[in-house]
Amino acid sequence: MRATVVVVHPSPASFTHSCAAAAVRGLQRAGHQVTTLDLYAMGFQPAMSAAEHHAYHGEEPVVDPLVAESVAAVRQAEMLVFVYPTWWSGLPAMLKGWLEKTMVPGVAFVFDGRGKVRPGLQSVRQIVGISSYGSSRTFVAAVNDNGRRTLMRALRLNTGWRTKRLWLPMYSIDSSSVERRSAFVSSVEKAMVAL
Amino acid sequence: MVYCHPSREAFNAAVLDAALEGLHEGGHEVRVTDLYASGFDPVFSATDHANHLADDVDRADIAGHIEDLRWCESLVLVYPTWWAGQPAMLKGWIDRVWVNGVAWTLPPGRRRVRPLLRSIRRITVVTTHGSSKLINALEGEGGKRMVTRSMRMLCACTCRTHWIAMYTVDTSTELQRAQFLLRVRMRLAA
Repeated sequence: MRATVVVVHPSPASFTHSCAAAAVRGLQRAGHQVTTLDLYAMGFQPAMSAAEHHAYHGEEPVVDPLVAESVAAVRQAEMLVFVYPTWWSGLPAMLKGWLEKTMVPGVAFVFDGRGKVRPGLQSVRQIVGISSYGSSRTFVAAVNDNGRRTLMRALRLNTGWRTKRLWLPMYSIDSSSVERRSAFVSSVEKAMVAL
Repeated sequence: MVYCHPSREAFNAAVLDAALEGLHEGGHEVRVTDLYASGFDPVFSATDHANHLADDVDRADIAGHIEDLRWCESLVLVYPTWWAGQPAMLKGWIDRVWVNGVAWTLPPGRRRVRPLLRSIRRITVVTTHGSSKLINALEGEGGKRMVTRSMRMLCACTCRTHWIAMYTVDTSTELQRAQFLLRVRMRLAA
C-alpha cells in the first residue's frame, strides 16, 4: 500500500521522531511505499490565513504550496499514519492546522451530483495513530482523548466507514523508563509490519 | 477576551463586538487579545519543548499574555469551531501560554500538577459552527471537553464554564444571526 506518514514534533531527536522512524521501517519491511510529511521540518504554517479562509468555499481552496504538497500526498495514500505528542488532551496546533488547511472541500469531501457530501479520500483503507501522553491511561480516559477522537472518527468520515483503524498510545511518558520507551518503539515497528 | 479569527469581515468579528458590548454593559473591565492581528505564533517550538518542565524560564515573548491571564477573573474565548475544536491558532495559544509556572506547576516528587490560575472563576466560550464543515456538525460540541475539563482544572476550584454556540452559520438568515448576537450580548452582560 501507499502509506503517508505525518510526523509532528519540533525536535528531531524526540520520542515522536523515534516512533515515526520505527513506523517507516516497519512499513517498508512489509513492502509498503512510504511518503513522509515532517510538518515542522517542512516549515508548515498551521494558522489558516485570511486568504485561505476566503478561498475555502471557492474554486481553488488550496493557496499554500506546502498544503498542495500535503494534498498530493494524501490523495495518493491508501494508508494514513499520524505520529504526534498529545498536548492538552488533543492535537498539537501544528497538526490541527494541517488538518484544517489540507482537508478542504474537493480533497477531504466532495459534493456528488445531487449536492450531497461524500467522503473524498475513499482510497484510504487504514488510519493509524501513534501518540505519547503526559497523562496516565486512566486520566486520559476521564478527560477524553480529543486527538484520537478527531483522527479516528472525524477524519474517518472523509475516508469512509470501512476504513480500518489502529491506535498505539504511550501513556505517562514523562515518568517512563528508557526500557519502556524502547519497548514501545519496537512494538510500533512490529505493528506496522503486521498491518 | 481572546479572539481568534483570520478575517475582520467574518461573522465572528460581529460576535466579538456583541461580546464586548455585553461585557461593558455588565460593568466588567476588559482586556482583548486578537491572536491573528497581534501576529501570535501558535507553533510550540523546540525551545518551548526543552523548557517544558524547567523552572526559571525566560518567557519574555509571551509576557503580555501571562500578565493578562494572571490579572483576569473571567476568561472569554471567541472563535469558530473548525474540525470539532479550537482553530490551530487558538490551540497554539493554549500550547504556548498555559505552561509550567503560568497555568500549572509540578512540585518535585509529585505526579499531579498544581493549578496556578486560581483567580479565574469563569470561562466562557462563544463559538460558531458552519454547516459546510460537515465534520464539525456531526461531532457536536467540539473542543468542549478540553475547556470544561483540562483548562478548568487549572483555574479556581469553583470555576464555572459557559458555552454559547451557534450552528449552521453558513446557511443562517440575518435574523438568526442577529438573535445569536443579542443572546451573546445578554449572556455576557450578566
